[in-house]
Amino acid sequence: MVSEKKPELGSVMVIGGCGFLGHHVVRLLLRDYTCAVSVVDLRCTRNRRPDSDGVVYYEADITDVDKLESVFAKAKPDVVIHTASPAPQANDSVSHALFKKVNVDGTAAVIKACQHTGVKALVYTSSASVISDNKSDLINADERWPMVRGKDQTEYYSETKAAAEELVLAANRAPESPTFLTCAIRPSGIMGEGDTMQLYHMINVYRQGRTNVQIGDNDNLFDFTYVENVAHAHLLAARALLITAASKTVPLDHERVDGEAFFITNDSPVYFWDYARAIWAAAGCPHGTEHVRVLPRSVGLLLGALSEAFCWAIGKPPTFTRQRIIYACMTRYYDISKAKKRLGYKPLVSLDEGIRRAVKWALEQEQNKQ
Amino acid sequence: MGVAKQAIYYAFHPNELRSIIQWKVWHEPVHKRDPSKETATEKSCFHYLNMTSRSFAAVIQELNPELLMPVCLFYLVLRGLDTIEDDMTIDIKEKEPLLRNFHKYMEQDGWTFDKNGPNEKDRDLLVHFDDVIVELKKVKKPYYEIIKDITVKMGNGMADYALNAEHNINGVNTIADYELYCHYVAGLVGEGLTRLFVKSELANPQLLVRMDLTESMGQFLQKTNIIRDVHEDWLDKRRFWPKEVWSKYVDKWDDLFAPEHREKALQCSSELVLNALKHADECLFYMAGIRDQSVFNFVAIPQSMAIATLELVFRNPDIFERNVKITKGDACRLMLESTQNLRVVCDVFRRYARRIHKKNDPRDPNFLAISMQCAKIEQFIESIFPTQDPKKIAAGQKQVNEAGMDTGDAILLVLSAVFTLVVIGLLMVGTAWFLGAHLNKFFDGLDNSLGGSVKKPTSVLGHEEL
Repeated sequence: MVSEKKPELGSVMVIGGCGFLGHHVVRLLLRDYTCAVSVVDLRCTRNRRPDSDGVVYYEADITDVDKLESVFAKAKPDVVIHTASPAPQANDSVSHALFKKVNVDGTAAVIKACQHTGVKALVYTSSASVISDNKSDLINADERWPMVRGKDQTEYYSETKAAAEELVLAANRAPESPTFLTCAIRPSGIMGEGDTMQLYHMINVYRQGRTNVQIGDNDNLFDFTYVENVAHAHLLAARALLITAASKTVPLDHERVDGEAFFITNDSPVYFWDYARAIWAAAGCPHGTEHVRVLPRSVGLLLGALSEAFCWAIGKPPTFTRQRIIYACMTRYYDISKAKKRLGYKPLVSLDEGIRRAVKWALEQEQNKQ
Repeated sequence: MGVAKQAIYYAFHPNELRSIIQWKVWHEPVHKRDPSKETATEKSCFHYLNMTSRSFAAVIQELNPELLMPVCLFYLVLRGLDTIEDDMTIDIKEKEPLLRNFHKYMEQDGWTFDKNGPNEKDRDLLVHFDDVIVELKKVKKPYYEIIKDITVKMGNGMADYALNAEHNINGVNTIADYELYCHYVAGLVGEGLTRLFVKSELANPQLLVRMDLTESMGQFLQKTNIIRDVHEDWLDKRRFWPKEVWSKYVDKWDDLFAPEHREKALQCSSELVLNALKHADECLFYMAGIRDQSVFNFVAIPQSMAIATLELVFRNPDIFERNVKITKGDACRLMLESTQNLRVVCDVFRRYARRIHKKNDPRDPNFLAISMQCAKIEQFIESIFPTQDPKKIAAGQKQVNEAGMDTGDAILLVLSAVFTLVVIGLLMVGTAWFLGAHLNKFFDGLDNSLGGSVKKPTSVLGHEEL
């Protein structure tokens, strides 16, 4: 990218541009592309670029349709990258309402605003979990796998991501706006600088000295993806949509990007507990695996059930649950050939380098707090 | 191992003994040599093959008759070259032209070579090389051209290395040097073999387009040998581990063998294991291109042995103290599994990839890269033999959605089955009774055997009497 001329993306709006993934999208736009960048977020204080970068920030709630359209009218984006989504941490009715409001209604509002203001392309951040029922293995799954919807989908968050993805893809070349192109990126296990969930949790396990337990046989592969690679995939998709928009012919089925969903990973699945151990090692864990006790999955499930029952009895939300055990023992990895062929995607940063950077960042955060 | 020691070993490793017996009893070669129809010089060639090769002699002799002699002779020619190259008693001035012109000598009727030192173990082959030359003349022209072409390349490569003082004193420096060396030692042989397989139509011609797959086959075997033999080579004052790698872990080559540097040495070996593992998926891909069972066995056996050896040497401190080798039982099991089909060989690769990942140590700087590489082998196997079928998953979802009715149906089915059984049972018992069976005796007997009611009162009474 250094010697080559940077590709043009016109005016790009990043919705959720102050969030974990969104601010990396903004960073990559400034680094790798020639474009004008605007950001829409609920609050634009954190992860903000210095003024010298020329990013224009708009504070807006995407579920507020009128406000959103007025921002679109001002920013006049050619491309919209929609990364905004609430953190899928809680699983109660309040957060369910929030998931529905932001993910489904908010995305519907974004689509409308795009169609009304002549936006050419929309790239939506979906999730690799839309094809997971949260208990069955996904072995080298690709885009042919069906979405898990309705009562089969036990995670309401995934249900709303899937519903939103369907709205986005249905809007591609829709009759009311036939030149508007869309696609969806389905990243698996995003991690990196700014990650306050997965990484934070893993390091916590180490801090509490709980690296000595392994549940399951650790032969289950999992896909984790460094955030910069996910951002990179979004921008490749945006560029492909703009190129499609500029050409007069509709692309052939086997090369089209518009109206399509793409799984994005680091293209290197790893054994679940190896990933955890790599993070612990990067955080300074001095242990090998001699101290590790292996609990069979069934024992883990029993302990999880006991923990849930106990927490229910004392009226506290459980942290150690059966679902956690299931995730730790589940195989969940993807074949990303489609993204490689059609988007020309290849991870920019390897998983081990990604872990090094992410853990370094997390440790710096810890120090700053002290 | 003494007999007693062996007996004890197998008493504790019955699975290995079972594999050995299975291999001896059940292995049926696809093709067998027929010594009764062989000429004297053919017999002589097989004699030298058996004498010079530990690992390849058996598989070569089970090859498809079309390639049996060409591959045997190809092996003997290369072994002949090797015997000259290895011999340090031959002066370089004499050695160089011998190596570079070997392809000419192998065309001269009656050519033999007896100037090898007395300790050179395969010197007899060259002393009787005229027998090999007689057979070489009978090989079909297209096959002979391939053998000759590789002999030219190999001879020149060996001569270059023999002249390369830097290499002879210091050994291999960069990873690129290391891979170039492996190319000369194993990659070239692989090239010759692939061309023979394709020419005889026993392999997919696409393998000639993807010569990188052939290269991987050779690199995988050779790198594994180099890692395994490090101690033996060190004693012989030869070094094939690239300096670019070991200098990251120790300052001096000899430090690698010092007990106080053991952990660093292990980390160094795991970087080389990682480097070798990168070829594993391409090896599987190559084997998918083989169309003949005997050729498949010929290429698959060494590959399975190699991945098992990589697992054996991975994080194994013994490699710095002595020679390590896979056990005979494991070798027999691997041979059984490598003489079936690609799917079984893939299972072998997955099994050993998982074992390697289980031995992986998070403190090793190559930890995650090795985990990723093992996973990559698994993912590659999934891409050729997928476990899941999206169509079936979609169909399964539909079924689950209709499950409400299905449970009702299932209960009804079970109930009707039970009902039918009861009716049939009653009918049979009724018929038996009707035909005069003494059912009351049967029930009495049953009653008795359960500590029946007839005896009960007596025993109770008995107790009361006490």
